[in-house]
Amino acid sequence: MHQRLSTARLYALCIFLVLGAAVAWTVQADEPSRDAPAPTQVRDLDYGDVLFHFFQDDYFESIVRLEANRDFDRLQHHAVEAELLAGGLYLSLGLHTEAERIFDRLLAGPVAPAVRDRARFYLARIGYQRGYYEAALRNLGLVEQPLPGKLEPERRLLEANVLMGLGRFGEAAKRLESWSETGGWSNYARFNLGVALVRAGDTARGRQFLEQVGTLQAANEEQASLRDRANLAIGFALLQQQGSEDPAAVLSRVRLDGPFSNKALLALGWAEANANRPDRALVPWLELQQRRLLDASVQESLVAVPYAYVKLASNGQASEHYRSAVDAYARESRRIDESIAAIRQGGFLDSILATVPQGDRPGWFWQLEQLPDAPHTRYLYHLLASHEFQEGLKNYRDLRLMQANLSRWTDSLEAFGAMIEAREIAATQREPRRQEMLSGTDLAALAQRQQELADRFAQVEAKREVAALASPQERAQWEALARIDAALAAMPAGPQRDEFAERARLLRGALSWELDRAYKVRATQTGRDLRQTRAALAEAGTRLAAIGEAGDLVPRNTQGFAGRVDELSERVARIAPLIDATALAQERALADLAVTELQAQQKRLRSYSTQAQFALASLYDGATAGGGR
Amino acid sequence: MKPKSHPMLFAARLFTAFALLAVPLAAVPSEGDTANLKTVDQDVQALKKQLIELNRDLFKLEEELLYPASTQVAVFLSVDVGTFFALDSVTLKVDDKEVANYLYTDREVQALHRGGVQKLYLGNLKAGSHEIVAFFTGKGPHERDYRRGTTLKVDKTVGAKYVELRISDREASLQPEFVVRQWE
Repeated sequence: MHQRLSTARLYALCIFLVLGAAVAWTVQADEPSRDAPAPTQVRDLDYGDVLFHFFQDDYFESIVRLEANRDFDRLQHHAVEAELLAGGLYLSLGLHTEAERIFDRLLAGPVAPAVRDRARFYLARIGYQRGYYEAALRNLGLVEQPLPGKLEPERRLLEANVLMGLGRFGEAAKRLESWSETGGWSNYARFNLGVALVRAGDTARGRQFLEQVGTLQAANEEQASLRDRANLAIGFALLQQQGSEDPAAVLSRVRLDGPFSNKALLALGWAEANANRPDRALVPWLELQQRRLLDASVQESLVAVPYAYVKLASNGQASEHYRSAVDAYARESRRIDESIAAIRQGGFLDSILATVPQGDRPGWFWQLEQLPDAPHTRYLYHLLASHEFQEGLKNYRDLRLMQANLSRWTDSLEAFGAMIEAREIAATQREPRRQEMLSGTDLAALAQRQQELADRFAQVEAKREVAALASPQERAQWEALARIDAALAAMPAGPQRDEFAERARLLRGALSWELDRAYKVRATQTGRDLRQTRAALAEAGTRLAAIGEAGDLVPRNTQGFAGRVDELSERVARIAPLIDATALAQERALADLAVTELQAQQKRLRSYSTQAQFALASLYDGATAGGGR
Repeated sequence: MKPKSHPMLFAARLFTAFALLAVPLAAVPSEGDTANLKTVDQDVQALKKQLIELNRDLFKLEEELLYPASTQVAVFLSVDVGTFFALDSVTLKVDDKEVANYLYTDREVQALHRGGVQKLYLGNLKAGSHEIVAFFTGKGPHERDYRRGTTLKVDKTVGAKYVELRISDREASLQPEFVVRQWE
């Protein structure tokens, strides 16, 4: 008749159903990336990098990068957005106090109205989650403009939930009546309000809201589940009222293969039984009896079926079912004993988390559905229905992930230490060469010489001393001519001296002509050479300064880094055992919670068992009395 | 034979109603359990805060030690609209040496489409001129396999160098566009 479902999951969701408002809200609010700001023009690439991780729901990596980049002063253009995002990230990581501090700080400063509104909204959400409804309502009242995107319907739902939390159902209803949005948010709000009104005794109005959800055209599984929950809630209300309206019609609207089918089948059976149709009551109850006994509805079906048989005067079958119920309850109770013992041994959370796929995605709890049927894991999924258990398990998982992360850093820190040591050794080995270079280079003398040459060249240019730029060979020729002139002066006058003088004049003229012809090129070349020498000297000065500075900086840098590595290694060493201790405390707290819950289940099983035994005894009495007549 | 009505059967019915309502109550922890959980939660909050601070400091140390600003080069990848190209992978070469080869998951692609910017590569380069080449692989218009390269010459100076590879849409030709630019 029905697809077989995981009853553990059903049980969990059934609990959601009756918890109503708070749970419906949590389902929505556990996905913080829904709050993500609309993509804006990224003006600091590192802010985009933070968002890249945030949009993948990798909140820890995102907040670490955000904080580091803020310290590097790389988020200048997104300072306010980064602050708002940091608050949201801390909130999603469960650091309510830090988140609240950030939002309060934002509100204390001069920020744009839109930012102020969002900070108010987040504060209201924190207030609601912690049960400070008045403060939450106050903050919501201070939101001035509609919030962007999906935050606005969430704000309205939050407001309705806060009002319901304060018991102000009428106001919550008014808010919802004016809400025309047809998306999932208003349906959650209507469902929450309907349940709250029914629980407050105003069944008629509650029914009105629940009917709206119970008859909606579901576009997806989430909406279909909500519709089932609404119909189940109406069915329960009618069943408890025992009025003229038959709950069977409403309960039949619940899907047979949905997460609420167990509850619906049980309630449907009681609706039929109440209407004196025990034969029809048997149909859902017998189906239910085939399902896993973990579920409270299945447990109850074990006594409900023989009850129907009694009504049908099939006492033999009734007795048989009562007997098998007593056996089943005893078996289940023993299994719970085993589970309690296994949980108390410790380590049960690790083995469970080992089966969870990687990646901290919202709703990962529900992937625990496939947990192995071992004593320590058998009931865990079932326990996840408790919000406290969910939060605790999430904390435990976060701590283990952070521990693994820290372990990786420990290896890196060792590598950093080795690297710094190698740098120090290399610097030490280079030091003698450095010193030699520094002491053997007289840059000042070279600079002075360069200046003298530049001055001399300026003179040459001013007086156009072409001979000053002569090549060595020309200079030698020039000097030879000077010596010839001196020799000629010493010669007696006569035709021979005149001839020599004439030849010397011609040679000097030729040389002068050559020097003059080459002067322009040589002056340009010399000017360029002087400029290049000046630049090379400046470059040498920079390099020498860098060499000097490097010698000063390297020891300081390596020592600075070495100090930081030491300090961080100490912090890692200090915090690692703290993680272990806190994770252990968390596990113990969850184990206590689990044991409390399992003991409550045992108590319920004992009650059912007692009921079955009394009924059985009653049947025997009746049979005996009948036989005696 | 019709059995006589027995009070226990009526009690069973009452118990049903009780059970239906009592089920959720059973899951609610006791006051002692709740107080214990709250204390642990406060400890966990404080510890998480310390761990975030520690990770921040480790992150900073790693970057400053391994990628000092004087030689640092960071290559980022972003997507603007990106309707004409579904990104599969990117290969990055610096001075003809492959430094990154990244295959994208659906989640990462979605994060890019929502405005996230991926820090694809962080490394060191000497001062001077360098060539950065990126090859994008994915599905182009009409679901066709698409591979496109883009090149940028960068002049590395003393400060950190940021380069952005941007995938955008060229509406006029209905083709993807791959832009690479330097940030100051």
